[in-house]
Amino acid sequence: MPDFSFLLVQFLNGLSQAMTLFLIAAGLSLIFGVLGILNFAHGSLYMLGAYFTFTVVRLFQEDAAAFWLAVLIAPVAVALVSGAIEWLLLRRLYAREHLYQLLFTYAIVLIISDFVKFAWGTDNLSVSRPAVLAGAVRLFTRYFATYDVFLLIAGPCIALGLWLLLTHTHWGKTIRAAAVDREMLAALGVNVPRLFTTVFVFGAWLGGLGGALAAPRASLYPGMDVEIIVESFIVVVIGGIGNLWGTVLGAFVLGQVNAFGILLLPRFAMVFIYALMAIVLITRPWGLLGKPLVQAR
Amino acid sequence: MRRLANLLWVIILLPLGYAASSLAQSEPIRIGVLYPLGGPAAIYSKPALVGHELARDEINAEGGVLGRPLEFLVRDTKVKPDVAVREARALVLKDRVDFLMGGLSSAVGLAISEVAREHRVLIVQPIPKSSAITEERGHRYVVRTASNTVIEGRAAAVLAAKNPQNRRIYTISLDYEYGHKVTEAFIEHLRRLNPAVEIVGQAWPRLGETQYTNFITAILEAQPDLVYSSLWGGHFVAFVKQANPLGYFQRLRHLNVAEAGSVEVCRTLGEEMPAGIISNAYDVPEFPDTPAHRRYVEAYTKRAPYASWGIQGYIATYFLAAAIEKAGTTDTEKVIDAFEGLTIDTPIGPQTIRAFDHQASRGQVWGVITCGGGDPPCKLDHVEYIGAEGLWNSVEEIKRLRAQSQ
Repeated sequence: MPDFSFLLVQFLNGLSQAMTLFLIAAGLSLIFGVLGILNFAHGSLYMLGAYFTFTVVRLFQEDAAAFWLAVLIAPVAVALVSGAIEWLLLRRLYAREHLYQLLFTYAIVLIISDFVKFAWGTDNLSVSRPAVLAGAVRLFTRYFATYDVFLLIAGPCIALGLWLLLTHTHWGKTIRAAAVDREMLAALGVNVPRLFTTVFVFGAWLGGLGGALAAPRASLYPGMDVEIIVESFIVVVIGGIGNLWGTVLGAFVLGQVNAFGILLLPRFAMVFIYALMAIVLITRPWGLLGKPLVQAR
Repeated sequence: MRRLANLLWVIILLPLGYAASSLAQSEPIRIGVLYPLGGPAAIYSKPALVGHELARDEINAEGGVLGRPLEFLVRDTKVKPDVAVREARALVLKDRVDFLMGGLSSAVGLAISEVAREHRVLIVQPIPKSSAITEERGHRYVVRTASNTVIEGRAAAVLAAKNPQNRRIYTISLDYEYGHKVTEAFIEHLRRLNPAVEIVGQAWPRLGETQYTNFITAILEAQPDLVYSSLWGGHFVAFVKQANPLGYFQRLRHLNVAEAGSVEVCRTLGEEMPAGIISNAYDVPEFPDTPAHRRYVEAYTKRAPYASWGIQGYIATYFLAAAIEKAGTTDTEKVIDAFEGLTIDTPIGPQTIRAFDHQASRGQVWGVITCGGGDPPCKLDHVEYIGAEGLWNSVEEIKRLRAQSQ
């Protein structure tokens, strides 16, 4: 019979998986909430973040701080790429129907996927954990990876930072205003196109950061983008799109269902998630913490 | 005078014309080759293709087969059965190829095998391992030069049974055709070798899974004597990266089929490759230490960085060439007859195609991962070759399986 420390470790496993998922889904949710664009390419930005991390770690492999350098550089590089995408291409589509925007972001998925294959090849690649976080810590009778402890600390810090940013800064307030009524905002003299660029870039930075932090736990391969975008969509749907705490809750639920579903019925762990998503969609289509959609103007 | 000159020209040119028509007789033997050319699966198909091409060029340099050069028509399957079927049909009907080779993934292997049966064209499969291809759904027009899930799973059972302490077993495999087949073969054979064996748990992550910590904690919790895994490629890499910090490999004996010991995987993981695990590969550069194998490795590395899957394409091409040579014609039925019981010398020693099911006697090399520096720092060591003989299903068993699936 599973004892307490085992359940605790499994709970923490689910929690640390939720952390990276949260980062990625938060960016996805933010971009949708403000720009009204369902960004299929968000998973690709996550993948780019992971591959950039690989390259930076490779470049500075002599240096003990290589990984931390990569965590700084890779998301910024992703943000620059996405800034170029938004500024050159995407902003021309805001006035169009949703379908065109979906098709456009899907095209970006294909382009980035081919770029990754071209630049890094199709082999699996791997990023080593930084030496300080390579081991495990003891939890009663069991072990828990130090790197995952780091994620457990970093995740809530980032969530809190995001919350402060959105609620206590001028930029955050403008963003929330844009999510409600962008025309009124423009009428009040806010440069909405520039605001959109910054939001898109910031969301991409979050995705890239998710990729950088997830890299040492996984193997990198072309196709990891599709993998993560599906899970991020589930998180966002369960939690409520455009709602920060909803994303936190969605990621938490997905992580825990994964962790304990595997214990109960290993072959159906994934089914639980889809079933949960279906129930949420039927009973609360706007997500657990979202608000019912008011017809936007 | 002029007329005489013309006549002279005709006399001179006539034999040349004959010569030209005899040249036309050495038109190439056309072989359709089906592989994914991009995507994650290309880490297996690209080296295999290099092996195919190396063999083709060697054969053509020696004057071809029956005096005719081999020509490849390479098509992309995208690892999708429907795409593979379409390409295979086009190769047969439009390009009029004489033979087909290739296939990667059990689903694609089974799908293009059906095309071969339907159009009565011979297909040689160097990679797909599902036992169904030559057993339940085997037929006259398919030859497999790859190993298969029965051979691989049972070879793993033989190694697991060597240690009588391996009683409580935990298995982890991907939830699809290959994972189920190879695990089933392992358990069934291990029970036969050691009736005291108990399966204490089974994990079935889905194809493409990237999160293994939950599985790993559950396995550590069960404290089995041995973990049997058939995670391959990136799945294995992700598993190892998440298991290493938990001291998993220090605390549990781990046996990993699915070519986790191949040099490709060792390169990806570098120093994170877990020492002490038992695993397998299709080929390693140092074994067998024979002139033929050394020559192969040298020729291969001139074209591309050494990769273990190259040998599969290389052997398949030589097998097909040998069968055509033996048949003395490219007539499909006669070449198939020539294949039955055919033995050829390969860089890894003699290989035979069993007459009844067209399954090659191909086993794999097995060993223990050992880390001692170098490039890559960890690799498969203490290597032995375990062939198919004594492990594969007997002809009677296959007849029974085929009758059951009717």
